[in-house]
Amino acid sequence: MAAVRGGTWGVRAGALALLAGLALLGAEPPYKRTVEAYAVPDVTLVDQDGAKVPLRSLLASDKVVVLDFIFGTCTTICPVLSAGYANLQQRLGPRSADIRLVSISIDPENDTPKVMRGYLKRYRARPGWTFLTGKREDIDRAMHAFNAYIPNKMSHYPLTLIRTPRSGAWTRIFGLMSTSEFLEECRNAGIQ
Amino acid sequence: MRALAAALALAAGLTLSAGARRQAPQRSRAQILALGERMYREGILPSGEPLQGVVKGDVPVSGAAFTCRNCHLRSGMGSYEGGVATPPITAAKLFQRQFWQFPSLTEAERIEAGVAQSKLRRPAYTDGTLADAIRTGVDPLGRTLNDVMPRYDLSPADMAILVAYLRTLSAEVSPGVTATTIRFATVLTPDVTAAEEEALRVPLDNFIASHNRLPQGFGNRMYRSASGRDMSLSHRQITLARWRLTGPPATWGAQLEAHQRREPVFALLGGMSHGDWKPIHTFCETRGIPCLFPLTDLPVVSDTDWYTVYFSKGLWQEGEAAARFLAGRPEGADPGRIVQAVADSPRARAAAMGFDLAWQEAGKAPVKTVRLPAGGLQEAALREWAAKGSVAVVLWDGPGAYPALAALAGPQLPVVFMASGLLGPRLGELPEAARASTYVTYPFRAPADEPKFARYANSLLAGLTALDNTERIYTRMYSLVEVLKQALMDMDRSYYRDAFLDALGMQKDRVLPDYERLSFGPGQRYAAKGCYVMQLTPGPQPVLVKRSDWVIH
Ligand code: HEC
Repeated sequence: MAAVRGGTWGVRAGALALLAGLALLGAEPPYKRTVEAYAVPDVTLVDQDGAKVPLRSLLASDKVVVLDFIFGTCTTICPVLSAGYANLQQRLGPRSADIRLVSISIDPENDTPKVMRGYLKRYRARPGWTFLTGKREDIDRAMHAFNAYIPNKMSHYPLTLIRTPRSGAWTRIFGLMSTSEFLEECRNAGIQ
Repeated sequence: MRALAAALALAAGLTLSAGARRQAPQRSRAQILALGERMYREGILPSGEPLQGVVKGDVPVSGAAFTCRNCHLRSGMGSYEGGVATPPITAAKLFQRQFWQFPSLTEAERIEAGVAQSKLRRPAYTDGTLADAIRTGVDPLGRTLNDVMPRYDLSPADMAILVAYLRTLSAEVSPGVTATTIRFATVLTPDVTAAEEEALRVPLDNFIASHNRLPQGFGNRMYRSASGRDMSLSHRQITLARWRLTGPPATWGAQLEAHQRREPVFALLGGMSHGDWKPIHTFCETRGIPCLFPLTDLPVVSDTDWYTVYFSKGLWQEGEAAARFLAGRPEGADPGRIVQAVADSPRARAAAMGFDLAWQEAGKAPVKTVRLPAGGLQEAALREWAAKGSVAVVLWDGPGAYPALAALAGPQLPVVFMASGLLGPRLGELPEAARASTYVTYPFRAPADEPKFARYANSLLAGLTALDNTERIYTRMYSLVEVLKQALMDMDRSYYRDAFLDALGMQKDRVLPDYERLSFGPGQRYAAKGCYVMQLTPGPQPVLVKRSDWVIH
């Protein structure tokens, strides 16, 4: 009987109760913003075309780099994060070439290049948005490096990281942004 | 019915008042619901255009990337992810008052539990207030919904169709469920032996017996959680029928129909076949009946089918693993020098299909494929390929190929790939001289790592006499039970087949016997995604050594 009432039950119920509490306050918490320094691990991941991509050199770009963690069959958060990426590209128009968007899969078992290509197509991604999968331990290392470790993909949270090429500093944004907020953050990082 | 008429009248009326020149198309109820379902699930308007919405205030979103189903799930049961709770929008929830506390209790239960006076979240929606909420994001109490919920600018006629659909969403409890019981069945094809059936049934029966005893504990415990779920309310006695099929596969569909008419079940659990699972898969797909973890090496491999959830893609997956592994090796650079040899059996062909598709996805030119004669691989054929400079032979054949491999073993033997699913218990008899150049796909955890996981299953084995687990029947039934328990709990009192599948899809990854990892996700239908490529060590007691990761990228 104890097994049936096992672990996740309480956790889930707690999360829901907490959520009801937040909602009762009426106000949604705004996104949380900090500036961080991260050491990118030396791992090689695989992009939507099946090409091997060394993460370090991909991120150490002179362009503004934006990074998030998503997965192909995710429900609420990833669609909003990815719609944000797509709309940013749209709004930047030709200038979208000045920004490098990167999504790392947190469901590397299911997210094969084929699944990732389908995902990007659904969001009408333009060139400049790279979706990466790879060995679970490499992905784990990447998540750890960005203080974003998510052991269970179903309890994942919205995180966007923006790298300023001049300083190499990362702006860490916890929460979901509107496009105007997103554009503002990209300007802070150096997009004209 | 009345609600639908009202929604349609609304559509017609508003269309007219908007001065539409064309007459609103005459549609049957079924057509309207089909159009509404397409809006909900695929994000496509009746016109064929994508639905347009706005999220987070200024992010336009459209169509397939942003369907209601994405967040509220196919059944409408809602989801919880990353601090964002997407509420249920089934007919029963939308058109009833909702409370912040204990949201899953009915009005009568609220009175009984003494929480009838708790704070109202919102009154029941009407067609009009629901349309307002979807369009403007304001609920009937004037509360602005979280802006993760898109605002959809739908025409009145389109809105009426969507609302008509929402009025039917998971509105009727699925067949096979009563106030006290939930009925399942397990399907066995004629080739399943009595011993196999026992290994399959005993763990399930043991689980069911303990599950059905649970209510004895309800009296003296608090079974209600903060979210308002109460096990004493959601608990149902489980029954499991045995549907044993007879005769040729072409007649199985009709037999399954007859069973379902006689004793309708909510879902199928487990089941087994040594042949093609397709007839049962097709029955489930057309009748909308979930099937959890049938034991088969020949599942239907589909990106879109919904009702059957398999452990893995079986032999197809072994073929896939060989392709991905070979694509990353030096021999893989030269597809013109690779031969794929396929025995004349459905099992061998499944491996070949998995290989071909994954090979193509890896961007490789097709390899030469030959069909093996009835006797399997012949030494002469292998010699010929070697003489012509083949660097790799992908060999979808059984242990009958061993003599030819032994005859050529040595430097002239190309790299060979075989599937453990085709070699069966004779895998370890692979000729010693051929082991250095032979790779075997292996869809399970490495045998050396397995014992501590296999032990989990012991809790469900009381009464089992056939304890040989070569076919991994009882351990996989243990895994089924673990996944089922969680799904039933998450489904709570939403006894809808789609909610059951939605609950399965939201389950976290599991580490259980047999497979290195089972993982889930909305719409994911093959829980174990990996397969090792192994080699056998030399000597009389060979062991398998991993040559790849569990998942090969
Ligand atoms: C990106 C995720 C997402 C998508 C897509 C989405 N919703 Fe929602 N929906 C939400 C969230 C989150 C809420 C909760 C808002 C709140 O309560 O503050 C919600 C709330 C609602 C509500 C209010 C429920 C109540 O109890 O008051 C309705 C109705 C609704 N959604 C219908 C729809 C329909 C219909 C669609 C498709 C046309 C849709 N939603 C698409 C996330 C989504």
